[in-house]
Amino acid sequence: MTNDELFATLQGRFPKLEKATVQVKDYLTVRIAAASELLALASFLKSSSFDMLDMLTATDHLGPVSMQGFIRQMNFNPFLPDGATPQIESGATTGYPYRPAMDLLWSFISIAEKARVIVRLEISRDATAVPSLVGLFKSADWQERETFDLFGIRYEGHPNLTKILTPDFLQGHPLRKDYAHIKDRFDE
Amino acid sequence: MGMVLEKLPGLTKGLPGGELLLTTSDYFIDLGRKQSLWPMTFGLACCAIEMMASYASRLDFDRFGVIPRASPRQADVMIVAGTVCKKMAEPILEIYHQMPEPRFVISMGSCANCGGPYYDSYSVVKGVDRIVPVDVYIAGCPPRPEALQYAVVKLQEKIMKMSLKNNGLSTPQQEKGSRDINALKI
Repeated sequence: MTNDELFATLQGRFPKLEKATVQVKDYLTVRIAAASELLALASFLKSSSFDMLDMLTATDHLGPVSMQGFIRQMNFNPFLPDGATPQIESGATTGYPYRPAMDLLWSFISIAEKARVIVRLEISRDATAVPSLVGLFKSADWQERETFDLFGIRYEGHPNLTKILTPDFLQGHPLRKDYAHIKDRFDE
Repeated sequence: MGMVLEKLPGLTKGLPGGELLLTTSDYFIDLGRKQSLWPMTFGLACCAIEMMASYASRLDFDRFGVIPRASPRQADVMIVAGTVCKKMAEPILEIYHQMPEPRFVISMGSCANCGGPYYDSYSVVKGVDRIVPVDVYIAGCPPRPEALQYAVVKLQEKIMKMSLKNNGLSTPQQEKGSRDINALKI
């Protein structure tokens, strides 16, 4: 099944579905307009042989981020004079301009068809709540906790949405671009 | 045994039959202690791969008397091989306190020494010497197995300097590491 056939099948069921501007590798990448469409699309994919949720993650597109808070010496090169232009210049990736948005991603695999569908959803950075897929895919459990822990996205309907990676005393969600580290007892 | 007798300092005297040996108690205790340094088996990151290579047959840690133990209660030395995350700091402290005294700590690699490339990270302890006193530091990222074995040799040299008259069994260096352990309240 080619990507075009797959997309035609999906679009027959969900007419508002559109292809993402930037494709993830060679896989069919679709973008849904609102979080409310996710559960219907996921259950349709599960019933049509895409019965494995490979991974889910998120990207924070806020930027550019000041290196000052993250790197002690951003121009660490002993051969450069003081005050030289920093070598680490942050820049936006092509196709992903800086914007205050949180880009979510789900990857569904069909073992039988040897195919993969990437579903993307862009939501606001403030109202970060999307439906959970734990009811459909067990593999979503820990990955949603991980994404919640690092990005602060609340998956509504998750049975146990708690921290999984960061220690209890860590405040905030470290992979958010506006994360400000609060010094704890292990820091100077 | 002949080699050991040759090296023994102080007065060694054999009675008829060779049943009596006179030496200093410090030397004898330290000798037994340094020839059987049993490390606690745990690794935290890629330095642990080099540590495993040291245990394996090519480099053969057994000839130093270094045999990995699976329980901190049977271990003498803790080899902190790898990045110490803040979440891992508490288990490491627990392992350290479960080890019987005298206990030694080898900090292996840049991450365990000072945080290494993860110094700026939000989740990495900037050196394991902030939570436990360290006896020997090994530089490298990761250090070669030979470096770890050299650290054990240096630790053996250090153990030979331990004396009963030094407030029990350990030196001030072991009681208090290079940084103040009491500064951290857990």
